[in-house]
Amino acid sequence: MDFTLKKEHEMARTLFQEFAEKEVKPLAQEVDETEQFPRVTVDKMAKNGFLGIPVPKEYGGQGCDPLTYVMCVEELSKVCGTTGVIVSAHTSLCCDPILTFGTEEQKQKYLVPLAKGEKLGAFGLTEPGAGTDAQGQQTKAVLDGDEYVINGSKIFITNGKEADVYVIFAVTGMIEKRGRMIKEISSFIVEKGTPGFSFGTKEKKMGIRGSSTYELIFTDCRVPKENLLGKLGQGFKIAMHTLDGGRIGIAAQALGIAEGALDRTIAYTKERKQFGRSIAAQQNTQFQLADMATKVEAAKLLVYKAAMAKATQKEYGFEAAQAKLYAAEVAMEVTTKAVQLHGGYGYTREYDVERMMRDAKITEIYEGTSEVQRMVISAALLK
Amino acid sequence: MNLEEYKGVYVFAQQVDNVINSIAFELIGKGKDLADTLGTEVTAVLVGSGVKELADELAEYGADRVIVVDDPELKEYRTEPYAHALASVIEKYKPEIFLVGATAIGRDLGPRVSARVHTGLTADCTQLEIGDFPMNPIPGKEQKHNQLLMTRPAFGGNTIATIACPDFRPQMATVRPGVMQKRPKVEGAKANVEEFNPGFTPNKNYVEILDIVKAVSDTVDIMDAKILVSGGRGVGSAENFKLLDDLAAVLGGTVSCSRAVVDAGWKPKDLQVGQTGKTVRPNVYFAIGISGAIQHLAGMEESDLIIAINKDETAPIFDVADYGIVGDLNKIVPALTEKLKAEMAAN
Repeated sequence: MDFTLKKEHEMARTLFQEFAEKEVKPLAQEVDETEQFPRVTVDKMAKNGFLGIPVPKEYGGQGCDPLTYVMCVEELSKVCGTTGVIVSAHTSLCCDPILTFGTEEQKQKYLVPLAKGEKLGAFGLTEPGAGTDAQGQQTKAVLDGDEYVINGSKIFITNGKEADVYVIFAVTGMIEKRGRMIKEISSFIVEKGTPGFSFGTKEKKMGIRGSSTYELIFTDCRVPKENLLGKLGQGFKIAMHTLDGGRIGIAAQALGIAEGALDRTIAYTKERKQFGRSIAAQQNTQFQLADMATKVEAAKLLVYKAAMAKATQKEYGFEAAQAKLYAAEVAMEVTTKAVQLHGGYGYTREYDVERMMRDAKITEIYEGTSEVQRMVISAALLK
Repeated sequence: MNLEEYKGVYVFAQQVDNVINSIAFELIGKGKDLADTLGTEVTAVLVGSGVKELADELAEYGADRVIVVDDPELKEYRTEPYAHALASVIEKYKPEIFLVGATAIGRDLGPRVSARVHTGLTADCTQLEIGDFPMNPIPGKEQKHNQLLMTRPAFGGNTIATIACPDFRPQMATVRPGVMQKRPKVEGAKANVEEFNPGFTPNKNYVEILDIVKAVSDTVDIMDAKILVSGGRGVGSAENFKLLDDLAAVLGGTVSCSRAVVDAGWKPKDLQVGQTGKTVRPNVYFAIGISGAIQHLAGMEESDLIIAINKDETAPIFDVADYGIVGDLNKIVPALTEKLKAEMAAN
């Protein structure tokens, strides 16, 4: 057991921090106000290799461990929750399933440009009728000759329309399981620009407003048979495995948001004076900050532990669920308190903490709600 | 009241601007069935000013006799003179059954007349038949035969009530338009016309009509529409909504849509049905090319009748639809429109 970071981790963190301060922070407020996807920042991140951190070097990535990737999402999220989730969705939800389940051809064709940052990735699982109940898929894929014909739609897809490569899920048939007929789900790689694949609504969100969240529409969209990812009928397993990793990414985003809000609050309470002294001199402020910092540290240890579990264990769903659950709830609590400690100023859009509070809320919802994480954790406890 | 004195089935033949409303023909059709059961005749009561020549039209649809109350005071519908006219007809002719269409006019007129002649009225009936009251004999209680059993939905359609009026005459009902069947038209039939004028003396209840506005509203609020023809992404394009416009035009319905259609810019937001649009409860809801996500269903599942057309037989819309067709809406909708057109023309 060793809680000191290795030298390469320290170096990587410094790199992420400098990038976040210099490139991301100045744009964070504008990205939120205008709801513009920060394409310029994404291009810069691609140049710096941020879009393939945990991908092996032979597939165009940086060949780093999951912890390095987690720190990248964390540092970006400290200044901008939008930028953090762009990297997380691309890396965890698109690169990772292709790396884990793809054929060599698929990896060469799709993973290499994704990891190099030449292309951006996204993940399409959720549907209007299938959120937490991912089995409730309606999108269908039917084999016709050498192609699968996909019909249906997906909603709330992060990096939608901006991404070039999509890992999507569709029903390919019915199978019998314990005497019941259930949907057989399979996974496919679909490229932007494929005829029959278009984009619907752009969601207007409360937070992470620069993140591009779109509806995907498939109308007789034909993809080559070789774009089936993994085996036929393996889709649900692929989705769940992918989300285990994605949850570590979101946990890192939540952690970063909480840390960013805490840093700003500490600085603000030292500067702000009432009753002739800084509000940091009030014991209430001190105790609030103590609680916030302690929770953030606890969240951080859970998130890092989950990252290490991904590196060293075959199964890490339990650790990922605990990390995401706790970090997301801490982010919500800490950002809410951060706004409070800023007083009226905290409620204005001139200060960053209200944005962080809006950004924090989504971390309790996407890539599995907090309730789903509790289901995963309790199921493991009661096995 | 001597109930034996009351004979015959009477219907109010509503006309506006000297054009008979089709509800009159529907009532005559139903009245004929009731009269046949009772071994009596159907009399239409035509009220207005200069309406005598309309009487033959009522005969063409099966009226055995037409009583015409013709007076300048009756030129436009006003509650008081019309109620006076019908109450006078009832007092003089003593009908056993008196039916009024549940139109805006009929719903105003029916209750006035029933109160004036002191009898019972059932509103907005959807079914009428001759039967026994009580329907099942109760020991020690007389069971009356040949009663008008009037059935109507109550509590917003959540329960069905069958109501009789055993002790007073006439048995009065307002009848929902479009429910009863007309008889086939017999060209050239001549009416047996009887003129009756009870005399009209204006009193303080004679209102003065200042203005009549006939608005042809292009944009019905979808929440008020009785028939909604609703399209989803499956319609494919803004232009293709013409298919739905045509169907709506034939049915006298209104076009609405799902969120996907608004997002695609094909229709304005105020036509959107669903959680983030409007909640509608029409009598008939056509869901055309709508998959039926819960966000949409929440806005329309209370519709009385849901008809779904979708090419995907596993679409969730079929879980709530009363009738469903699996197939290409581009073929089905025009065919449906044509069929309905032909059907309407035949009536």
